[in-house]
Amino acid sequence: MNNGAEPQGRHSTNSAVPALRSLLPVLVVLTLIALVPLLSPSNRFLSLAISAGINVIALYGLSVLFGQTGILSMGHAALVGVGAYTAAILARDFGIGFWLALPAAALTSAVFAMIVGIPSLRVGGHHFVIMTFAFGQLLAIVLTNGGDYTGAATGLDIVGPVTLFGADMGDLTRYYLMVVAFVAIAAVASWAIINSPYGRTLRAIRENEKLAASLGINVGGHKIGAFVVSGIFAGISGVLLANFLGHISPTQFASFPSIYLALMVMIGGARLIAGPLAGGILVAFLPEVLNLDPVQSRIVYGVCLIAVILLLPEGLIAGIVAAVRKVFVAKPNERQELEHSAVSKASEARR
Amino acid sequence: MSPILEIRGLSKQFGGVTALVGVDLAITEGEILGVVGPNGSGKTTLFNVVTGVHKPSAGGVSFRGRDITGLAPHAISRAGIGYTFQQAMAFAGLSVLENVQIAGEHVRAGANANTPWPRPQALLDFVGLTTLAGEKAGVLPFGSLRLLGLALALATQPALLLLDEPAAGLNDRETTALVGLVRQLPGHGITVCVIDHDMKLMQMLCRRLAVLDFGSKIADGPTEVVLADPKVLEVYLGGDL
Repeated sequence: MNNGAEPQGRHSTNSAVPALRSLLPVLVVLTLIALVPLLSPSNRFLSLAISAGINVIALYGLSVLFGQTGILSMGHAALVGVGAYTAAILARDFGIGFWLALPAAALTSAVFAMIVGIPSLRVGGHHFVIMTFAFGQLLAIVLTNGGDYTGAATGLDIVGPVTLFGADMGDLTRYYLMVVAFVAIAAVASWAIINSPYGRTLRAIRENEKLAASLGINVGGHKIGAFVVSGIFAGISGVLLANFLGHISPTQFASFPSIYLALMVMIGGARLIAGPLAGGILVAFLPEVLNLDPVQSRIVYGVCLIAVILLLPEGLIAGIVAAVRKVFVAKPNERQELEHSAVSKASEARR
Repeated sequence: MSPILEIRGLSKQFGGVTALVGVDLAITEGEILGVVGPNGSGKTTLFNVVTGVHKPSAGGVSFRGRDITGLAPHAISRAGIGYTFQQAMAFAGLSVLENVQIAGEHVRAGANANTPWPRPQALLDFVGLTTLAGEKAGVLPFGSLRLLGLALALATQPALLLLDEPAAGLNDRETTALVGLVRQLPGHGITVCVIDHDMKLMQMLCRRLAVLDFGSKIADGPTEVVLADPKVLEVYLGGDL
């Protein structure tokens, strides 16, 4: 296990400062991203960036689930969809606006996560992957057959402006800035969870469920809890998505988008706080930069995923960090570690 | 003295295979009890049923007068029963100290508040791992990993400690050190039950032995009496007795 590239795991005990060091680069990058509108980018760029940012918010939830707890949801877009439909239905039926829809959708997605999680997480990891995948498919079917209530295959429009302190946020640049702010909040929230005793409990479960249970850790309960936490992120992401697109439909939340979310978090690296940001941006902009059509980009994604799993199992960012360390940093630490492992090998050989 | 753990008529079947047949066993507070038997005699099944991994087919377990039959493993631990596994294990990616910290975070106050290791450091001192506190558990030599496993179980402040083959894979020197530690536990208010087939270890540790064979208890009593029992000798004939 390459925990050398997991500072939050190594330092989580007492010192908040080294842990903060992992968050700081993310906040710096987000600040730079927030300054991009000064370069008067194209609308296409802003739209793409907003979509990427909305995904990144869900990815930060997925990083708690997958990166810390070690369980993978293959139906995460469905939880985003629950949030999006919650926002659309609340706006249509009750005239509830963006800011009230946020907590409401977070709650609904969390409840759905709990309903899916309770039967499937008590059993085991593989069942969970299959159950979440089935949930994603099922939700799409239910939404498609929901008649006027869910808008069936056509989906729902969401009207009503998003305002902040009286200012209309519907403008692309303003919405972009708001999404960047939400991404920053998601990153900080995810970082706070990872560096709390709760995060350490989740990592203990990831490393060894049997041992964790023997120490009084309610493994099943905490796994459901982590899925619920990831559901909260997904719900908020859904509200932002619905209000950005103005129209949502079932296919947006079926299996392909879910696979993309899993792909993004794996490519970026689920255990590092920079991972979701990197994965979300990369997967959104790669086809644009390489000028690929949708079919080509699917092929490229597939190849990327296989490459990352085989070559960089901790994700791209962890891989880059490790490579940079190898090249540039004089490594007394590593040398010590090497010596130590030599010693322990020698002592094992003696046996 | 009343038993701290009472096992009554415990049976366990896996499909058509019967692993335990009506086992009765009482562990007295303050003792070190040994449960022995050849491979396949049901020792580990007994351990797994008591720690909540398997549900019994019949019978029950009560701990300090409370029925704990069928509780989940984490609930058993919180009730005050610590246990270590046949396979030495720790959280490989975390430091030795962090391992012990985590182990102590989920205890319910009052399980056994009298244990003399209120702090992780004190526990590491006790098992002799202080110098390795900062090391990743994954790089520990096997003997140290076993000791860390013991420290993790002790960090849950148990009133009863179940050890499943605690000396498996240890050399003589390490085994002696482990025996020295385990012997101190009753003095700290921790009752111990060791499950093993290694008679040498059991003779060092236990004044009382219970013997399992084909899922049934065939002997239970003072170590020297049990070891002279013809039934036990027969079971171990040609074994390492």
